[in-house]
Amino acid sequence: MGWNIFPLWAGIVMLIAATASIWAVMKKERSTVAIATMTVAILAMGGFIILLWATLERPPLRTMGETRLWYSFFILVSGLFTYSRWHYRWIMLFATVLAGVFIIINIAKPEIHDQTLMPALQSLWFVPHVSVYMFSYSLLGCATLLSVVALVRKSTDMDLAIERLLYAGLAFLSVGMLTGALWAKDAWGAYWSWDPKESWAAATWGLYLIAIHLAPSVMNTSRRWIYHTIILLGFVALQMCWYGVNYLPSAATSVHSY
Amino acid sequence: MKTLTKNNRFQHLGGVCMVGVVIALSFLVEVCFGSFPVGLFRFPLNVLVLALWMMLMAMMYRGRAHNACARFMLSREATWLSLALIAAIGITLGLQLKPSSTAWPTVCSLLFVLSHLQFVILRGWRNGKGLRWRFCLAHIGLFLALGAGFWGAPDREQLRAPVQRYPSNEAYTMEGEERRLPYTLELKDFSIEEAENGTPTHYEAQIMVDGTMVTLRVNHPYARTISEKIYLVSFSTSPSGERYAILEIVSEPWQWVSAAGIIMLLAGAMLLFIQGPLSNSEL
Repeated sequence: MGWNIFPLWAGIVMLIAATASIWAVMKKERSTVAIATMTVAILAMGGFIILLWATLERPPLRTMGETRLWYSFFILVSGLFTYSRWHYRWIMLFATVLAGVFIIINIAKPEIHDQTLMPALQSLWFVPHVSVYMFSYSLLGCATLLSVVALVRKSTDMDLAIERLLYAGLAFLSVGMLTGALWAKDAWGAYWSWDPKESWAAATWGLYLIAIHLAPSVMNTSRRWIYHTIILLGFVALQMCWYGVNYLPSAATSVHSY
Repeated sequence: MKTLTKNNRFQHLGGVCMVGVVIALSFLVEVCFGSFPVGLFRFPLNVLVLALWMMLMAMMYRGRAHNACARFMLSREATWLSLALIAAIGITLGLQLKPSSTAWPTVCSLLFVLSHLQFVILRGWRNGKGLRWRFCLAHIGLFLALGAGFWGAPDREQLRAPVQRYPSNEAYTMEGEERRLPYTLELKDFSIEEAENGTPTHYEAQIMVDGTMVTLRVNHPYARTISEKIYLVSFSTSPSGERYAILEIVSEPWQWVSAAGIIMLLAGAMLLFIQGPLSNSEL
């Protein structure tokens, strides 16, 4: 028992999650059925993790494949939380697709199941730090897309959705950054060392905080475009933080090079 | 009323320009005299300066009705400027245009951000309504986390020690200066697991720290005192072919203030998600 049953198990989890997500999209009000169905999918995913844990006789946190398993789990949990709290009809579908990507990687590349993580990444902080960041990227990506539409159409229809997505995305981004700081203290002895990746994380955080603090002053004026532009700039900084930093000369000195 | 608001806006723009001039001058100081002399502000001088600075900010806040500078520090413009400075520091250090967090412009910018935070906290912690908890956790948390890193930097010490199979108190600063530890370190055992391609996948060292046996692994430091932790950061091989451990000794007396700030910020971030944007809140 273990990875050999994963494709079947994950397929069933995805089927249940997709049913919950489609149900949520179809219902105008917050759907208890969708919430319950997604909870079943999450419990099933958690069940596989527990089974793998028992089979391996150690926490499944040591290989690339095992960490991707946790990403899928936490992304579904984040999607459920966000739907339950803010009732975005499509957010669970979005989370299901994102979790599906990691599940497909695990099925298509079985070699990563045994690919041991480097010692620096073998930490309890690794999975929550990365999966929370991934989810925040997806929420902020949605806010950015809506901001582009708002800028092009000069429309105010999506402002409330953008603001809510921005708050939820920034909350997850902050949790990702702060869990990273706590982990850095355990790994390198400093909560924050202005490493290139950390510096871009600070830039991203600062830009999104400007957008949040700017909103009350500009949202009902002709200067709304400033708010949307800063959201776009925040997303550019986020791309730099995520992978862009690897292409800079400063990457050579980064402790985040894996 | 409209004229008053216009006057305030004008004054606030003047404040933004003043901060800009100070930061521009700090670039000049950096070029002429080098980075900020962090080492001069070790305890107790840093605590003394911090206390005086906080008192000055509190006094300015009390006299804000007659003080244009205090009114600027409480303005939206100062908030936007503070956040823009955080973003600018991030971009500058991210691009390594000026690869130092102790450069004068960085120090001046962070001092402005911390000063503004203190003003905002003094105003907001009493006036907050529906979002009081979120406001306090986020702003006081940031003030503590950022402040501990800023004011505590002079007291932070990071040493590296090559630890072999005999007791030694030899250690080096990150600049390569030799230091003597007040205790000895001795490697008792070192084990390593490697992947097929020879990459280390797991390693740990049994170290005798001043008579106490401890196991060190990456991500699992040993807290020798309340302010000092010992980390296993790497390993190397001696000329005789024997492996030895490379340890890092980090002394950071302000670490618990940082930790309190980070935990408060985490709670604030969770409330940000739960409460979301509430446009009817007043802070």
